[in-house]
Amino acid sequence: MRNLFVAAALAAIVSTPAVSAAPKLTQAQHDAAHGMFEHIINTPTVIGRHQVPGMAQYVADQFKAAGFPEADIHVLPYHTASATTGDDDTAALIVRWRAASPTTKKPILLMGHMDVVEAKREDSTTDPFVMTERDGYYYGRGTIDMKDGITSITQAMINLRRAGFKPKRDIVVLFTGDEETNGIGAQKGATEWLDLLGHPEFGLNADGGGGGYNPDGSPAGFTMQTAEKTFAGYTLTVRNRGGHSSKPRKDNAIYSLAHALDKIEAYRFTPMMNETTRAYFDGRQKSEKGQLGDAMRRWLANPNDGEAADFIEASESEVGLTRTRCVPTRLFAGHADNALPQLATAMINCRIFPGVDPNAVKAELERIVADPTVVVTRNDNYVASLASPLRPDVTAAFTHAVQTLHPGMPVFPEMSTGASDARPFRVAGVPVYGTNGAWVVVPTDFRAHGKDERIPVQSLYDNVVHWELMLQDLTGK
Amino acid sequence: MMRRFAGLVLALCSTVAVAATDPRTVPTKLEPAWQAKTHDVFKQAIEIPSVHHRGQVPQMAKLLADQFRAAGIPDADIHFMPYESLPGDQTEALIVHWRSAHATKKPMLILGHMDVVEAKRSDWTFDPFVFREQDGYFLGRGTSDMKNGDVATAMAAVKLMSEGFKPNRDIIFFYSGDEETRGVGATLGSTKWRNLTDAEFGLNADGGCASYDQQFRPLGCGISMAEKTFQTYFFTTHNPGGHSSRPRPDNAIYDLADALEKLRTYRFTPMQNDVSRAYFEERARQEGNSQLGQQIRAWLANPNDGAAADAIEANPLEVGLTRTRCVATMLQGGHADNALPQSATATVNCRIFPGVQPTEVQAELQKLVGPNVEVKPDPNYIGQPTPASPLRPDVLKAVTTSIQKLYGPEMHVYPEMSTGASDGSFFRAQGMPVYDIDGSWGISPIDERAHGLDERIPVRAMYDDVVYWQMIFKSLAG
Repeated sequence: MRNLFVAAALAAIVSTPAVSAAPKLTQAQHDAAHGMFEHIINTPTVIGRHQVPGMAQYVADQFKAAGFPEADIHVLPYHTASATTGDDDTAALIVRWRAASPTTKKPILLMGHMDVVEAKREDSTTDPFVMTERDGYYYGRGTIDMKDGITSITQAMINLRRAGFKPKRDIVVLFTGDEETNGIGAQKGATEWLDLLGHPEFGLNADGGGGGYNPDGSPAGFTMQTAEKTFAGYTLTVRNRGGHSSKPRKDNAIYSLAHALDKIEAYRFTPMMNETTRAYFDGRQKSEKGQLGDAMRRWLANPNDGEAADFIEASESEVGLTRTRCVPTRLFAGHADNALPQLATAMINCRIFPGVDPNAVKAELERIVADPTVVVTRNDNYVASLASPLRPDVTAAFTHAVQTLHPGMPVFPEMSTGASDARPFRVAGVPVYGTNGAWVVVPTDFRAHGKDERIPVQSLYDNVVHWELMLQDLTGK
Repeated sequence: MMRRFAGLVLALCSTVAVAATDPRTVPTKLEPAWQAKTHDVFKQAIEIPSVHHRGQVPQMAKLLADQFRAAGIPDADIHFMPYESLPGDQTEALIVHWRSAHATKKPMLILGHMDVVEAKRSDWTFDPFVFREQDGYFLGRGTSDMKNGDVATAMAAVKLMSEGFKPNRDIIFFYSGDEETRGVGATLGSTKWRNLTDAEFGLNADGGCASYDQQFRPLGCGISMAEKTFQTYFFTTHNPGGHSSRPRPDNAIYDLADALEKLRTYRFTPMQNDVSRAYFEERARQEGNSQLGQQIRAWLANPNDGAAADAIEANPLEVGLTRTRCVATMLQGGHADNALPQSATATVNCRIFPGVQPTEVQAELQKLVGPNVEVKPDPNYIGQPTPASPLRPDVLKAVTTSIQKLYGPEMHVYPEMSTGASDGSFFRAQGMPVYDIDGSWGISPIDERAHGLDERIPVRAMYDDVVYWQMIFKSLAG
């Protein structure tokens, strides 16, 4: 689930000057990246199509051909299924690049997912599973979510190895096969495969972060994702004896539900701030001159200034960033037009501020509704997502890579309102940072999960270089 | 669509002390020879599964026609009227004309329907289409809705003919074949076939008027002579939607919830007509000096006393009888758990006071919820308001006399307004007054099984209903 970064809302910020000229890929490296990208875009790794194991083997073969020892390459088949997504035999890929000499440092984890969201031929301009180059773009399902990241991490490691680079700590790759559906690969990664991964110190996720240019060519900014809200679903259920609709009862399941929804509509959770959002708003306020900027400044100065936080939350560009948000998304009630409803339900979708227990949100919903006939239940058993602490080494490496390729580009930390493979690792105590280096034109290229997904051609090759720079910075010193 | 035993509403307030004799154990007034004949025809009727699309209604028509023919009605006065109801459902109506040699009054029409609601063997404790007699009951699909009425009206006529009774007006029997589904038969009967059915008024045998509570106290016999108009509306809200991680200030579900909050507390203006006034006069008499009784008397004295009407409407016994009522019955909204809803719809079912147009109610609802909520009637069923039938002293007297002769003076007869619709509504809509007066009964609520499982009727209620219809025919056509 690619988190569309919020740079669209960001104006340029004063940033440190660019450091050095960006390295360029050789023609052979360029062709290798192109060839791999085309092959995997043309592999429709949608749930139910059984294509992920083949793709995992293909990617494993690339590592093998570049000289990575077979013993450190593992294709791990597993099953993914749930009531709503269907099921599939899928696979994960783990590749470990061992440090040249013994080290006490734990490995760095590089993360991505090989599966993509469904795309239908009839809904797309070109066949979404035939990579098409047109007008300076590569088109196809997965071009930005996130086969660009799979290609870039793989090619960066291959290029570095062939160039004789020797990492001073282990680099371990985990590419999962069901991030878009059930996230079972990431769950296994954070638990039963943790030994195989060498208990990494932190993770760099290519399924987060990234940057953008405005249509006029000005830099919109890059973000590094350090936190994500917890996705949690709840159901409000009201039951009633029902009866014949010609004789309405005083109590009615639909009216009780509607009343509960009115209360949820009026309710606002308590504003919260963490390191990531503080850094984000601190960056934002520098360029935000008007009332919105004033509110950010007031809130940063006084985190108890709820009025300021409410003003920020009400801004279209900042929705969801100041607190937990819950919203009803589905309704269902009744069984016949001439019968009083015996059952009425509403699905409530919550995006919970990092660190808050979804069970606490359930209790809070119960308090909001304040009606014992409205029963609140959870739809899933997700646990609280945690924010990863801002690490100076990662922030510096990301900023350096971004600004080498894009001089003058501002960089922000970001809290995503969505969810990704990072969550089980953050919960297991492994901080994860979304540090991909691809860029797009905002907002016209925001097409993840949508129609005619695409990536600027140059963005793919920049991303390979981006990951080379990151790995050199973080494992070469 | 059978009327529920109207008497249920009186269950909690009967102030009359009566000897608690189980009415099911009292001997019937029907002679044993006619019990046997009735049993035989009723058994055959129940064992014809005249459910829609099974093609069995013509068998029912033949069974009933055979009784009339055997009693002397000439073939020229027996009309089989085939027609299509639901697509592909070939059904039939039966019209039988019992002529008066020297008619002094205009004809009267007897209404019934021969079709029954579906019943599944797997749902029932016994085969619904095998006639059974057990513990003082006849059991099977249609025993109370309404092959009892078909058989009682036919057997009463046959018996009177055999006794040499000569009616002083024509009596026309009209049995439809799709009352439970589309009511095409009643529509045709009241319009295209009117030359065969035209009458001064109609008497509908669909659903017994009387009931007893479980302590065997008589709960009265309600004669339905008006009905509210059924109309379903859809309240729909629209929104651009979006990703649920970024809630918008406007939301289709919240907009709909706001509209439902308004609907919940809204009350239409109280209304009265002749039928409801007569009903409440009877209720006031029954209630005596109770709070409800006083409220009813206040409203009857001053129809503009809205507070009194509201208090009556709020009483669970009287819900729906003082005005139009609308209630939310279904909800549907959204398309994915993690997407903001692009639309949300509530189904709102209204029972509209007789004489009020569904378009007026639509306008009133639209005004209530405001322009952001679309209010549209269900395009599959547009209700047609029907006028209340006038209170006819001759009908009231005939029913009261007959009922009380069979069930005693404690079984009060009162007019009522039905909150549902039956075949009678199509004739009322075409200007023919119709009175739902069948004289059968059950124990409320344990015998209220029409459309439900293990449908049944007390044996005595079936047999006495033959006697009842004999008395009705004699009283109104003799």
